[in-house]
Order: sequence, then C-alpha cells, then structure tokens
Amino acid sequence: MLKFTIRRILWTIPVILLVILMTFVMMRMIKGNPFRTTERAVPEAIQRNLERKFHLDQPAYKQYLFYVKGVFTLDLGPSLVLRSQTVNDIIKQHFPVSIHLGVMALLFAIVLGIPLGILAALKQNSPLDYASMGIANLGFSIPSFLVATLLIYFFAVKWKDVTGLPTNGWGGPETWVLPVIALGIYPMTYFARLVRGSMLETLQQDYVRTAKAKGLRWRVVVGKHVLRNSLIPAVTATGPLLGYLITGSFIIEYIFGIPGIGKYYVTAVTGRDYSVVMGITVLLSVIIIVANLVVDIVYVYLDPRTRDERT
Amino acid sequence: METDQRDHAIEATHRRRAQFEDALTRTAEVRGTEAGAALGRASLWKDAYYRFIANKASVIAAFAFLILLAYVIFVPIFSNEDPYAVDFSEAYIPPSWEHPFGTDQFGRDLFVRTALGGRVSFAIGFAATIAIMVIGITYGATSGFLGGRVDNALMRFLDALYGLPYLPFAILTLAIFGTVNFWTMVVALTIASWFTAARVVRGQIISLKENDYVRAAYALGVPRRRILSRHLLVNTLGVIIVFVFLELPGVILGEAFLSFIGLGISPPKASWGTLAQEGYVEYQVHPYIIVIPSLMIAWLILSAFFIADGLRDALDPRMKET
Repeated sequence: MLKFTIRRILWTIPVILLVILMTFVMMRMIKGNPFRTTERAVPEAIQRNLERKFHLDQPAYKQYLFYVKGVFTLDLGPSLVLRSQTVNDIIKQHFPVSIHLGVMALLFAIVLGIPLGILAALKQNSPLDYASMGIANLGFSIPSFLVATLLIYFFAVKWKDVTGLPTNGWGGPETWVLPVIALGIYPMTYFARLVRGSMLETLQQDYVRTAKAKGLRWRVVVGKHVLRNSLIPAVTATGPLLGYLITGSFIIEYIFGIPGIGKYYVTAVTGRDYSVVMGITVLLSVIIIVANLVVDIVYVYLDPRTRDERT
Repeated sequence: METDQRDHAIEATHRRRAQFEDALTRTAEVRGTEAGAALGRASLWKDAYYRFIANKASVIAAFAFLILLAYVIFVPIFSNEDPYAVDFSEAYIPPSWEHPFGTDQFGRDLFVRTALGGRVSFAIGFAATIAIMVIGITYGATSGFLGGRVDNALMRFLDALYGLPYLPFAILTLAIFGTVNFWTMVVALTIASWFTAARVVRGQIISLKENDYVRAAYALGVPRRRILSRHLLVNTLGVIIVFVFLELPGVILGEAFLSFIGLGISPPKASWGTLAQEGYVEYQVHPYIIVIPSLMIAWLILSAFFIADGLRDALDPRMKET
C-alpha cells in the first residue's frame, strides 16, 4: 500500500521532466525569434544582450536545465513579449479566474449530476430515468460552443429583463452563472451516466440482495451499501474530467470574454511569447499529472480489491 | 462486475466452442463441397452481426450515421445551388422550403454549405482517425508484445504524453507548422490524441498473450512475427473497430473547437467548426447559423456513440470504457 503510494509519487518526477522536455522541444521548433520578428529593428548589440538576458544564446540543453530549475523553484522566467511582466505575474493574474470557473463548474456537475444518476438508477425505466438520460445524451453530444451561445441568446439577450444576466465579462456572481453552466453541463451528464451505470451494477450485487433479504430498510441499504460503492467511479472520473475542464475553458473563456488562462494562451501562441506558452503548458500538464496521481492513490484506498494487483 | 464479465466471457466461449464443434462435424459431412474454409471466423462475424441487429438503439444510430454521410456526400453533387455564389439580395434568409437551412451573410445556401463543411470535417476526422489507429496499434502492439523493459519505458513515455492537455498540445503543434491547412490539422489532432488508442491496444495484446492458443503457438515454434500477426493483431480487431467510432467524433469535435477559436483551416474551405464560428459572430440576430452546424456535430457524436456501444456488445471485447 505505502510502497505503491511512494512509488507512484516518485514516478511523477521523471514524467514531469519528460513533459517539460517535450514542451521545450516543441517551443524550439516554432520558427522565429521573438526579438527578430518585431517590426521595430533592434540594434544588433541590444539584441545580443536581450538574448543573453533570456539565455537564448546558450546551448539548448543548458536552456532546458535552466528551465527545469525554474519550474522546480516556481520561477517560470520573464515574459518575452510583455517586457515588464514575468510569467508568474501573468499566471497569477489569469489563472485564478480559470480555477474559479473550473471549480464552480465541477461543483455544479457534481451537485446536479450525481443525484440525477442516483435517481435515474433507483427508478430505472421510469419516465424520470428516460428524461434524465435524454438530458444526459443531449448534454453529452451538443458541442459546448452551442450550449454557451444558446444560453447567452436566451438568458442574456431574449429574457434579459427577467434574468438580468450579462452576455459576457467576468466580475460579480451574475457574470458567473452562464459560463459555469455552459462549462459544467458536459461533466454533469458524464457524472449522471457514470453513477447511473455503476448504481445499476451495484444494485444487482449479492450483498445488496442479502441486505434486503435480512430485512434491512431499503433506505439504509441504498445509503450504506449501494451508494458508497457506486460513487467510486465518479471519484476516478474527476481526474480525466479535469483535462476536459481545461480544454473546455478555452472555448468558454473565448465565448464569454473571460480573462482566464485559456484565452491568454491563444494570444501568447500567436504572439510567440515562448516563455508564457511554455509556462502555461507545463502548469496545466503538472495539474493533470498531479490530479491523476491523486485519483490513482485515492482509488486504491477506496477500493480494496485493487490493492493486491497494484502493490 | 468482474465476475459478471467473466461469467459472460466463459459462457460466450462455451457457446463458440459448441458452434465450432458443430461446424467441424458438419464440415466433415459435407467435405468436398465446402471444404473446411474459415468456418469459425465467419461465424464470429455473423454472430456479431445478429447481436448488433438485436440492439435497437445501435441500429437506429447506424442509420442516422449513414443518413448523415449520405447528406454530406450527395447533396453537393445533386444540388443546383452554387455554394460560393455571392448574392446579397438573398442574405440571411431563415430556414425555408427553398433553403432548408437558410442562407448566410453572402446569400450562400447553407444546406449545401453545411454538407460541404461536413465533407471537410469528415475528411479530417477520418484521416486523423486512421493515423491515430496506425500509430496507436503500432505503438501499443510493440509495447504489449515485447513486454518487460521496453513495455515499461514506452508506457512511461505515454504517461508523460497523457499529462499534456489536449487543446494546448494541438495548438502548439499547429504553431510549429506555422500554417493551418488540411494536413497540418490532421497531424496536430493525431499527435494530440493517439495515446488512448495505444493504451487500449496494448491492454488487449497483453491479455491475449496469456491465452492458451498463443502459448501453444509459442510451444509449436511459430515465429514471433507470425504469432503477432495471425493470433494477436487479428483478435484486437474488435476493439479497434469499436475504438474507431469513439475516436472519430472526438477528433471532429477537436477540429471544431480549434476552428471555433479561430485556429481552423482557412476559408473558403469551411468545416462545421468554421461554420459555427461564422454563426457565432451574429448569433444575436440570426441564431440558426450557429445552431445548424453544431447540431450536425451533435448528430454525429450521438450516432457514433450508440454505434460504438452496440458494436462493443456485439463483438464482445473485454474493453472497459476509458
């Protein structure tokens, strides 16, 4: 158990190094030097100085080592385009917005999706089941840009007088409602389907039948035996969903004009701000890697059956 | 669940063995007319076909998928509308009999344009899916078949790739190319999403390797290459077919996302994502322009999902949802 946990944690270090390396190689493959592409011609001496300042004159492997050192000391270096800002500044400025949006969307998904899945499973083949699975299928197949646009169209344009919701921007709680729903709908349907499936499976287990046969109240059977075991897949799904929330936030931030990290990323790529692009990519990767790590470990603790195989 | 699956698998094995023995005796009887050719294999596919047909949702989904394909392929051929003719007097006509999907800002018929956009989306989707499968199968089969240290190293590398978020990775790849066209888009989508295929194929190969018939083949001294091609790869076919239907909508959606944020292939070649982007610009006045291409994507995703679902049951691969 402990051995598995430690080994799993230690493995993430080479994985993170590899991610940094790959991002690094990809960044170097993008043609053009950020200083040479500016229209304003910079005198050669200054250009050389700038390159020295940002270690661009060093051999590649040294640059990589510099960067790895930076990542582990939480210093992602200066922005190459916005001269007065560091990558840390930019991340500090934009990332909390994305985190805020993502966490609220995830909560929305959990709070609505899991009960929906539970109800659908308990009332299998009832109208409620069909309705919730119908919604789940719609939410799962309709692209998030349409969901977002329709939400804006109806709730912020057509029925504006009733709802009073703005079409875009990021500020008070009224600006959060639509983006959170738009981003959270897919994870919500995902949770609903997952929980429904695993509930139906658990309900057929022998121990549930036993509990029922020995006269335990149905409410207790569901609460104590069924729910606990059926929610495990929902826990494991949170890891991959985080990846989705990041991807989805690119679209949602774009549509709602939210100053988050996804929106800035596209700007940075087109502006060839190497250090910002690398910084954000590495940051997002580390988050996904750590999330998967946590999920893996939590899973082993939650489901004792997986212990023998994994230790 | 595990036991359930195992029971199911054992049952299926029994059934198949009975069929096989049955076929064998029959073959012996009618030897000469239909000498022993590949009866066992044929019955697996026939079996799968009947099981697929029995699943109503999947059959409907299959029809829906075919209708969508037919629409995309045939409408531009038989339509009289010129999809590129600009006529401002015809701009922004909402859906009607003459223009089932309405017209856009330049008065171009969206019924034809959406079909053409579907061609682009499908072409990118199919090309990327094929590339993903080729890379995934090669990588996964190598890893699973060789096992040991090679497997370990290849899987660690895959772990690292898994850490890379999908869209940023695709955007980076596009940035490396510097231009966005059909092929760079295919490459970007492939690079950003081949890992799952590799992982699924590897898992399948590893579980197949433990089978008695594979061990028997080893014991008989069958060359490794032949074991891989005749016994292992052939048996991953079911998983692969299912996976194609899971990957295709994913890739098409990925392309739509990229096009939507303005990183798609450049006009006049418009994919569904580009059309949705054009509609997004004026959603407040003409909402149908974004709704139609988006619903096409939803149609595709939904039908492909139910097809995959039915195929999974029909081909009975031991694949869990990933």
